[in-house]
Amino acid sequence: MAVPDEDADLVRSAIGGDDDAFTELVRRHKGTVLRSSARFARNPAELEDLGQETFLRVYRDLRSFRGDAPFGHWLSRVTVRVCYDALRKRRREEKDVSLEVLAAPVADPSAGNGPSAQLARMILDQAMSRLKPDDRLVITLYELEDRSVREVAELTGWSEGTVKVRAFRARQTLKRLIGGDDER
Amino acid sequence: MNDKRHDRTDVELDRLFEMARQAPPEISDVERNFETRVMARIRESREQREPWYTLAWRLAPIFLVLTILLGGWSVLYPPVHPADPVTMLASGAQEVALLDYLTGE
Repeated sequence: MAVPDEDADLVRSAIGGDDDAFTELVRRHKGTVLRSSARFARNPAELEDLGQETFLRVYRDLRSFRGDAPFGHWLSRVTVRVCYDALRKRRREEKDVSLEVLAAPVADPSAGNGPSAQLARMILDQAMSRLKPDDRLVITLYELEDRSVREVAELTGWSEGTVKVRAFRARQTLKRLIGGDDER
Repeated sequence: MNDKRHDRTDVELDRLFEMARQAPPEISDVERNFETRVMARIRESREQREPWYTLAWRLAPIFLVLTILLGGWSVLYPPVHPADPVTMLASGAQEVALLDYLTGE
């Protein structure tokens, strides 16, 4: 198996049953996995669950990793799949915050990571919780993680056309919610 | 009028996305010793023994294939009855022996 990245040896050792090698893989990639998962988690406990589930799935399926792409890419796809499954499990949640919050004025982005940025995240979290899982996944990867359509397509396994359609649909829904004319 | 409102909403949404990108999610608490907890969970899942019926279900296809093969074998190669009446009676083939006797074979 030819794995063209620096994780190659660790992956081989982990497949051979070396727990220390797998621990090192987790240590190397936990930041990336947790940062991606945090866009979908509602609280630290859920983030912990998503992260653990991702690495459990990686451990279970490590033998199916063919090594024709870097380990990190494969891991990103597993992360997206785990988060998508979690989104599908909990549809239509977080109804406790009123829609007035969504229409709150937002300060200048040049203000940085202050309260305004936190408010922006909160508004988006609330609005995005009303999206379908497919749309939420796409808009998170495309807008919040700033990935290209092609990258989103690779991560989700959907076609680029599907990604574009879902991103557009999600944006229209968000615009309705942010604009305050929720049609439900 | 409505278009203007949508333009404004577009700008507002872009601004929200931009600000949210500037505020990366806080993960430091979860990140601390995360690998230790993952490995503990992996060990735990490894130690959980599978119940006996899981093994039975896994073996079911093997038994199915075996049954089909034996069935095919018995159709393709039916048992040959010996001509000697005593041997036939001893082997429990009384009906065949009787039939042979009655038909004079």
